[in-house]
Amino acid sequence: MLNRLCILLIEPSFLIREGLKTMLSNLGNPYRLEEIDTPLDDLEKHINRLHPTLIMINPLLIPTMITLPRDPESDFNPIYIGLISNGVSTQTKSKFDNLLNLDGDRHELFKTMEKVMQQLGTSQTETDNYTLSERELSILKLVALGNTNNEIADRLFISTHTVMTHRKNITRKLGIKTVSGLTVYAILNQHIKMEEIQGS
Amino acid sequence: MRINKDMKMAEVIHLNHHLLPILNRFDIHLGFGERSVETVCLDHALNIDFFLEIVNTFHDPSYFPVRHLQSFKASMLIDYLQKTHAYYLDLKIPEIGQNIRQITQEESLQNSHKKLLEDFFDSYQHELTTHINKEEQRVYPYVISLENILDNPASTVEELHEISKYSILEYEEDHGDVEAKLFDLKNIIIKYLPTSKNNKLLNVILHDIFELERDLNNHGHIEDLILVPIVENMEKALRKRLNKLSSNA
Repeated sequence: MLNRLCILLIEPSFLIREGLKTMLSNLGNPYRLEEIDTPLDDLEKHINRLHPTLIMINPLLIPTMITLPRDPESDFNPIYIGLISNGVSTQTKSKFDNLLNLDGDRHELFKTMEKVMQQLGTSQTETDNYTLSERELSILKLVALGNTNNEIADRLFISTHTVMTHRKNITRKLGIKTVSGLTVYAILNQHIKMEEIQGS
Repeated sequence: MRINKDMKMAEVIHLNHHLLPILNRFDIHLGFGERSVETVCLDHALNIDFFLEIVNTFHDPSYFPVRHLQSFKASMLIDYLQKTHAYYLDLKIPEIGQNIRQITQEESLQNSHKKLLEDFFDSYQHELTTHINKEEQRVYPYVISLENILDNPASTVEELHEISKYSILEYEEDHGDVEAKLFDLKNIIIKYLPTSKNNKLLNVILHDIFELERDLNNHGHIEDLILVPIVENMEKALRKRLNKLSSNA
């Protein structure tokens, strides 16, 4: 989730692929992209190899696939975007998390992609403020002092899932991903003292 | 714009000067005159296709190398990857480390902050070194012996069997945390380190970190997109050969 945006683009048309790449660049997110232009039936293999965050597929290239591979146990489930044109069946459409209408106008295309980027938490156009909330600050302190997500959840009487959501937001706001980085931040900003982490 | 064999080598540098350290890894030195990429590669006895794939993946991160994969020797690639490792560990990291220590000698920083920054960089250095050592001591030797055994028509069934117990996919490892630390270091310096008087030196450090990050990304990219497919092909060839032997027996 915190890694660079990795995109798998499965689309036969060279022009459409190039157009999508231009659009992605205009959205201002750095990304890694791999392209496939022929039909395939081993999508899982590509997913396991690349761990893409986003898969953009023209349904024509996955004729044999009734459902798309999803693993509820796994941490990296990609978001599927169907590259569709007018006239694609509802059943086909329902396989995907999002749809990008290739016949849509510029405004519609960008709106859809921005929505997807927001889901991924990588949007550059977000307008929320970047100061930490009280809750986030108390979680930051506990993280910096070396507590695990479970320990923090117990201590603050919230679920581990909630702790993880707060941590994601902290990382997004500060631009710091690792625990040791957060510790440095917390000390530099005097949220915790150096002595407190000694021995931990 | 893709770099091709007919361009002048000097033009390549004008196009993207970040390629300079890459040329060093191929032992190509400045003073190209009007010579083309092809001529320079011939002069240095380099595989031109290999050279082009490497510089193009670096020049354009979305470039996807496929055309000549089959014709590359894994040993050629590993030689290159080892040179990039040496560039990080012997040159770039010590350089950044030295500059960081110089910053921390400044009086304007609190003692505790100095230690914090140094410790953070040291732990990054440690993680990167551990990661690189693992590749050099485990992954690369495996790939080289796989290639040697396959290239030798006289390899015994035992040798083939022994090497077939390994797979490149087992070695695939997440570079995630090492990457994240470097990313954090950037933001700590850009956003959170109290203002230092020595802005010039901080700029140098940041510039070096950005360059290192880009180089590391490209390194990972080459491993994922060129090395792994080549080794997978070799593993396929190995299984074929074993099958053939067992059906002949």
